[in-house]
Amino acid sequence: MAEKKRTKVLGSLQPDVEDILDWNNLPESAFEPASTQEKESFIQDRKSVSYWKDAWRRLRHNKVAMVAMVIVILIALFAFVGPFLVPYGYDEQIRGANNLHPWHYTLEDQARINAYMEEHNNVSNLTPDEAVEQAKAEAAARGETLSRVEEAKIRANAKSSQGSGNTKVTEADAIAALGISAKPFGYSSDELQRMANGESVFPHVFGCDTHGRDIMVRTMIGARVSMIVGICCALIVLVIGAIYGSISGYCGGKVDAVMQRIVEIIYTIPEVLIILLLGATLKPIFEEFQNSGDGPLQQLVTVLGPNLIAIFIAFGLLYWVTMSRIIRGQILQLKQQEYVTAARALGAKGGRIIKRHLLPNCVGQIVTTTFLQIPSAIFTESFLSFLGMGVSAPMTSLGSMCSDALSGLTSYPYRLFIPAAILSVMILCLNLFGDGLRDALDPRLKK
Amino acid sequence: MAKYVLKRVLMAVLTLLIVTCLTFLLMNAIPGNPWLSEKTPTQATIDALNEKYGLDKPVIVQLGLYLEDLLHGDFGVSIKMQKDRPVLDIITSMFPVSATIGVIAILWAILVGVPLGCLAAYKRGTWVDSLLRVICTIGISMPGFVVATILLYLLAGGIPDWKIFPTIFVGTWQSYILPCAALGFYPMCYLSRQTRTAMLDSINQEYIKTARAKGLKNRKIVFKHALRNALIPVITYLGPQIAFTLCGGFVVETVFSIPGLGRYFVQSIQNRDYPLIMGTTIFLAAFIIVMNLLVDLLYKLVDPRINLSKGGN
Amino acid sequence: MEEKQKTGKLLEVKDLHVSFFTPAGEVKAVGGISYDLNYDEVMGIVGESGSGKSVEAYSIIGLLQSPGKVVGGSITLEGEDVLAKSKSEMIELRGNKVAMIFQNPMTCLNPVYTIGNQLIEALKAHDKQVSKEEAAKRAMEMLELVGINNVEKRMKQYPHELSGGMRQRVMIAMGLICHPQLLIADEPTTALDVTIQAQILELMKELQKKTHMGIIFITHNLGVVAEICDKVSVMYAGKMVEQGPVDDIFYKPGHPYTMGLLRSMPRVDAESYERLIPIEGTPVDMLNPPEGCPFAPRCEYAMKICLQKMPPYVELGDNHRAACWLRVQDQLNQQKQDKTADTSKEVSDHE
Repeated sequence: MAEKKRTKVLGSLQPDVEDILDWNNLPESAFEPASTQEKESFIQDRKSVSYWKDAWRRLRHNKVAMVAMVIVILIALFAFVGPFLVPYGYDEQIRGANNLHPWHYTLEDQARINAYMEEHNNVSNLTPDEAVEQAKAEAAARGETLSRVEEAKIRANAKSSQGSGNTKVTEADAIAALGISAKPFGYSSDELQRMANGESVFPHVFGCDTHGRDIMVRTMIGARVSMIVGICCALIVLVIGAIYGSISGYCGGKVDAVMQRIVEIIYTIPEVLIILLLGATLKPIFEEFQNSGDGPLQQLVTVLGPNLIAIFIAFGLLYWVTMSRIIRGQILQLKQQEYVTAARALGAKGGRIIKRHLLPNCVGQIVTTTFLQIPSAIFTESFLSFLGMGVSAPMTSLGSMCSDALSGLTSYPYRLFIPAAILSVMILCLNLFGDGLRDALDPRLKK
Repeated sequence: MAKYVLKRVLMAVLTLLIVTCLTFLLMNAIPGNPWLSEKTPTQATIDALNEKYGLDKPVIVQLGLYLEDLLHGDFGVSIKMQKDRPVLDIITSMFPVSATIGVIAILWAILVGVPLGCLAAYKRGTWVDSLLRVICTIGISMPGFVVATILLYLLAGGIPDWKIFPTIFVGTWQSYILPCAALGFYPMCYLSRQTRTAMLDSINQEYIKTARAKGLKNRKIVFKHALRNALIPVITYLGPQIAFTLCGGFVVETVFSIPGLGRYFVQSIQNRDYPLIMGTTIFLAAFIIVMNLLVDLLYKLVDPRINLSKGGN
Repeated sequence: MEEKQKTGKLLEVKDLHVSFFTPAGEVKAVGGISYDLNYDEVMGIVGESGSGKSVEAYSIIGLLQSPGKVVGGSITLEGEDVLAKSKSEMIELRGNKVAMIFQNPMTCLNPVYTIGNQLIEALKAHDKQVSKEEAAKRAMEMLELVGINNVEKRMKQYPHELSGGMRQRVMIAMGLICHPQLLIADEPTTALDVTIQAQILELMKELQKKTHMGIIFITHNLGVVAEICDKVSVMYAGKMVEQGPVDDIFYKPGHPYTMGLLRSMPRVDAESYERLIPIEGTPVDMLNPPEGCPFAPRCEYAMKICLQKMPPYVELGDNHRAACWLRVQDQLNQQKQDKTADTSKEVSDHE
């Protein structure tokens, strides 16, 4: 030890002045060397919180994400458990329940309304929607479908003729005049009759569509389709992206360069266009395949429906690009990290570095990206379904329900807005939860 | 610079070629033929039709012929929707409407979204930030048709008292407002979110620390130093957003019954009008790819770090 | 460069405490440090990463970012209390009286603006009247001063067009353009390669002689300290463990940590093939700092008392003090000897 000059004046910048007086009272033993164990026990190893525990703690504190998660779970229950609780099938056409509103009038009230209308209004007159429905039914009988343009024409005609019949008293007028208030949930007259006879009938909570199909069940099934599509697409993207990204990252060099060029090209391909195209072209291909035999593969196609498979393929072909880039980046980082570790020549520490620092970094990003694929896939699926290129009838999805309801928007807005609301809330909550997940899993925010 | 541009252009041409071939091959993979849905034609008629439209040759030859025609600006003729009318003619007559709506939509999305993102970043942590974040998160969670139908229902007839806009597209400026609003809403929210993130990212950079150490005022730091850097990544989001908006137009055109190319494209797919599908796909793809290319070049121009003389990256 | 030669205390930091309030708890990044700096003096702050040296410097210039907060102590600059200043007063102070240059010149210059733009902006921030031409002229003078040639061209260039050393020169020019009294250099040479390092150090020494400003030089490189500093503070885990004139620190280190640092420093004049001896172990967890000396677990001389109580500062020489129980022990032993000597003296006096 170097020699020290002793001074009697103690440090002028002394923070712990009062301690000094105690020096002389210190026992001799205080100056004995400390043992290694003592030193080790001195560093109270901070209760090492595992990465996942820490992430979960942060996620739990994120109120928005938690609320979003609860809503997602509720929607999932609605979609997966709901259909078993409601005694109607999604493609079951309930007789007499066509165009049922999600509210009803008791039988007595209905009788009063009809009486009132008959009294004031002898001419039978069609509302535009009724006219369209009639025309549709006629067209269907001829084996044709109506284009939107034709529909619009019929509607316009009906509207003008409606105006000419000026003595017209509508149901709404009658209801207003009689001061009758509606009861919640829809029941067909038949069902009301049965209820009057003492049977218990499950209500049509959201009403029924043109074909008398229960909208709530259809919404449930639609939400289920959306969720399944979302999860499957996310998994497809994860698998393809992971494989492609890791091959590209591990091989490096020329392989990497070529693979990245391909990624660049796919990146610039307008995805929606190709998905539409795939949806349109794969459908007939799969339909033919479906009809070609009765093997397990054909069965699978039947179960999933050709359009759904087309969507999966489109996602598998196009949407993995981002994922592969992330994984490639992580692999490159991993390679670099190994190099640094090796350079440090502390072989034992390498595994620790990967486990403690790299993996969390990597896994967090992958989990988040995969999760955020789900709302994005649901979004795209609904877009396709809306354009009539989603799942095939009678199977339904939220997007195709909205599309079907578009023509009757003015008279039956809830038919569009119920599935639209569920769809939007579902995507919103998945996005919010995904954001929360990213915040929780991102170690960069960890201090 | 020239080398870089050349590289990008070649890449774009290659992409377009791939899209073209993909489209063509997919079209050919469809079982059956377009004549089947008509009144059961005789085999002779089918053969005659096939020969007339060149469908009797091997696929690869058809592809070659088609590409050659494309180079001459010949997209073929529609075989179903508007029989024998040249596809290019249909496209040029219908695209302007779609393009107008798309351009207005993307413009308002940029002009509103980017400043809102800046505002949110500048006021981060305040109620302004929270409000904007809520709006934008909802905005990117609503599919285009939901926004469009809500607007249609509220302001164009669903509620009689609020009917301000025409229900059916008539070509006046009023009939453009709702479609453009609906179409631009998603990119507006998306760009706003991205701008906010980029701004916050930029604010955490070291040069912001330097600017602070220089004694610059907070506003100057945010709007001079952070913004310019934040806009660079935001430009990269523009390309995909243009593509997205253009395709989002399909839905909006359907909802508002606009006689645009998007709606026609969807109808041509439903009607299996091959030349029309191919022509429209290739045209739209080309448009998107060119837009991407322009955005990409713009990006390189805005960022001085890119050494253009050496050819990029 | 006409700077009135001032003497005396420029900066006084007393018992400064800075904490970061993280979700996991309070991290005491700086736990009570004190020093003062005169005009025309260079002080080095040495310590490993995470020891709180940058945090300490940021609190002087008011750049502490949330969740960091000064929780105690005082900072006095030219007789004014810095911590009591309002936000706008701090903005006025930054760059004007106190300038700071940072570690990485690659990331510290805004990539999208030209050098000239950024220099002029620094000047204009504090001198609103100055005209564009005047500002540009002064910026060019400044660039020449820091040894950049071809200044007209440089002014129009973007940061990425310059080399690392050049950029650090620009950073220095930007820091000095308003003639600050105090320059805080946060590891200004760490990111540069060795030859450039030497040039930059040379430049800083030269400029310091010309301007007579005080410099706080933050580094983890003792070699750099020897080159440029008049006095040194050694920090460990947010505490100042030793402080003193540069010669004392190098030749008579009082704290085992300083000794460790010295031993781990490569020496050109090493006589034998001595190996560098690294300091074993890792720094303590700043979230739950233990009672006692934070260095104790890594200290080869650790005693029982070290694990129980934070050592006090012991004066080891003129302005040289260290916080270590070993030195307390020395002092106690010395006192005992003195006492015996005194008693014997008394005894002899009696006789």
